[in-house]
Parts: sequence; C-alpha cells; structure tokens
Amino acid sequence: MDFTDRTVIVTGGTRGIGKAVALAFARQGARVAVIYGSDDQSAADMQVELETGGAPFLVLKGDVASPEAVDHVIGSVLQEWQRVDVLVNNAGIIRDNMLMFQPMADWNRVLDVNLKGTYLCSKAVLKHMVANRFGRIVNMVSPSGITGRAGQTNYAASKGAVIAFTKSLAREVARIGIGVNCVCPGVIATPMTDQLDPDSLAEMRRMIPMGRVGTPREVADAVLFLASDLATYITGQVLIVDGGLI
Amino acid sequence: METIVSDTNRLRTFLKQMIVETLKLEDITAEKIDGDAPLFKEGLGLDSIDALELVVAVEKHFNVIIEDENVGKEAFASVNVLAGFIQKMFSGVSKSRMRLSG
Repeated sequence: MDFTDRTVIVTGGTRGIGKAVALAFARQGARVAVIYGSDDQSAADMQVELETGGAPFLVLKGDVASPEAVDHVIGSVLQEWQRVDVLVNNAGIIRDNMLMFQPMADWNRVLDVNLKGTYLCSKAVLKHMVANRFGRIVNMVSPSGITGRAGQTNYAASKGAVIAFTKSLAREVARIGIGVNCVCPGVIATPMTDQLDPDSLAEMRRMIPMGRVGTPREVADAVLFLASDLATYITGQVLIVDGGLI
Repeated sequence: METIVSDTNRLRTFLKQMIVETLKLEDITAEKIDGDAPLFKEGLGLDSIDALELVVAVEKHFNVIIEDENVGKEAFASVNVLAGFIQKMFSGVSKSRMRLSG
C-alpha cells in the first residue's frame, strides 16, 4: 500500500490508535498532518517520532469540535501541501455514566468531539477532495455504536451516528471518486482502554473469541487498507476489527 | 479572469466549457449547451452531485463562494443566470459569502 505524495490528516493522531495510524501512513510515504486536542506532551513525543521517520509532517493543535479551529488546522495543511487525499476522523472521547447520572455537559462534549468533529473535519476537506476527484475518509467508530453498551449512551449514540453519517456521505460523493468508510476497533490496548478498571478489562478479554485485546497496529492496517488502492470499490462500509467480539 | 467576467459572451462560453470539462460530459459539447436551458433536472439534467462539483469549480475559477444550497439553486438555474450571478459577485460590493436574506 503506497501512499507516496498523498496528504493524510489524522485527528487525534498523537496517541493510541491515531498515533499508530499516522505512523503507518508515514512509513508508506505519505505526508501526514496529525491534529491533537490538548495533550502537548504526547504531541511533542509524536513530533520526535515523525522527525525520525523522515517524511514531511505537521503536528497541529486544534479542537475538532470548534469550527474555527478546524478551519485553521485544515487551512494550515492546505497552505503547506495544497491538497488533502485522506482524512481519518479518529479524535474521540468517552465520558461513561449510566444515563440517569449522566450530566448534560458529558453528553454534549462526547457528541461534540465524536460526531460534530467528524462533520466539521469532513466538510472542511470535502471540497478539496471534490476538486481533485479523489478522497478517502475513514471514520473511527466502536462496537458500542452497533450493539450499544451500558454506561455509554452518549458514546454509543455518537458512534452510531457517525456510522449513519458515513453511509449517507458515501452515497453523496461516491460518483466523484471519494470513498467514505468506518473502521470499528474493538478492545485495543490504548490510553482510552487504560481508563477502564481491571475487572472490566478482564471481563472483556473473556468475551473476545481471540482471547486478547487488539493492538493499535492491527487497527491501523485496516485504516490503510480502506484508504488504499486495494479498496477502490468499497464505500459506506464498517470494517470491524475486534477479534470476533461482536 | 477579470477580462472574461466583464465580457458576458466570453463568460457564458467559458462556463459552458467549464461545465463540460468539470463534469466530464461526453454526450454534449460546450457549443451545444443552450444558455437559457435549465441545468438541473430538465435541460442538461444535472443532479445534486454534479452541483457539488460545479460549486467547487466556480470557487476555483472565480473565487465566488456558494455555501447556501438555496443560493446555489438560484445561481445554477441556467448558464446565463450563472454568468449574471458571477458577474454580480465577482465585481460586486464584496467577495464575501452570499447568504439568503430574510
């Protein structure tokens, strides 16, 4: 899968799955822009790794839920490289609570980052992809968005909505040569799953037919596949990478 | 581009060529497009996906931005209407995004 001369944007690209995705694209020759929200230390670490790799890159700070921030970071990428070929909407947060105890602020923030962020970033790059008659958008979702999960009404709602968004946008732009798909990682060893308590994690492992959590690299491979020339007839789909969980 | 915009006939010809090239129309040449015929549904029979590409092309060539779907529908009524719209926006009071009033 060769991404030489392709410009790739990965939101939430300095940690966990996003980081693995960004580094994987860089290894395949892409120019990679990673966008992060607030973790400056992870961003600095990512900068060092990308510098070591030698490919052109950008590390940009911006809240994907903010229209102004999205316009600014996407504008920076276009100013540097004049095109966007691949967008990976990976930025996402969890704020788990049973619904009865879920504050509105948590509901709003999860929907804002996970769903509105996907909308804002996709819209910001879309006209450039339309102009080039080429684009790949890959949206990261979750098994919660397909089966639901107790304690994640907000998160599951956001990811279920991203699936519906993906299928709709795919139908809008398929004829222009733009593919829009989802990757649905299961339980993956990342900072997000580090927040889960050990009992929950152990219970999850028991439920996974492969008997282990996945690695960020295994998810990144799926993202690169959907963005590559190996997936030119695939659009509007959800590729589940979960060891058989759902 | 200013020379083309200020010359209505040249602009209309440019737009017909732009439509054929942007949408890769194979069944019709620019010369055969009727300037007063509807672009969408009847006439040229373009659809909403074609509209996306034309909006992008208009912005690329003329720096005229169409963000509102209703504005787009009015502007793209025909080639001649589109030419008038571009002339108004290109040399108009401002190059800012046109929004529906009211």
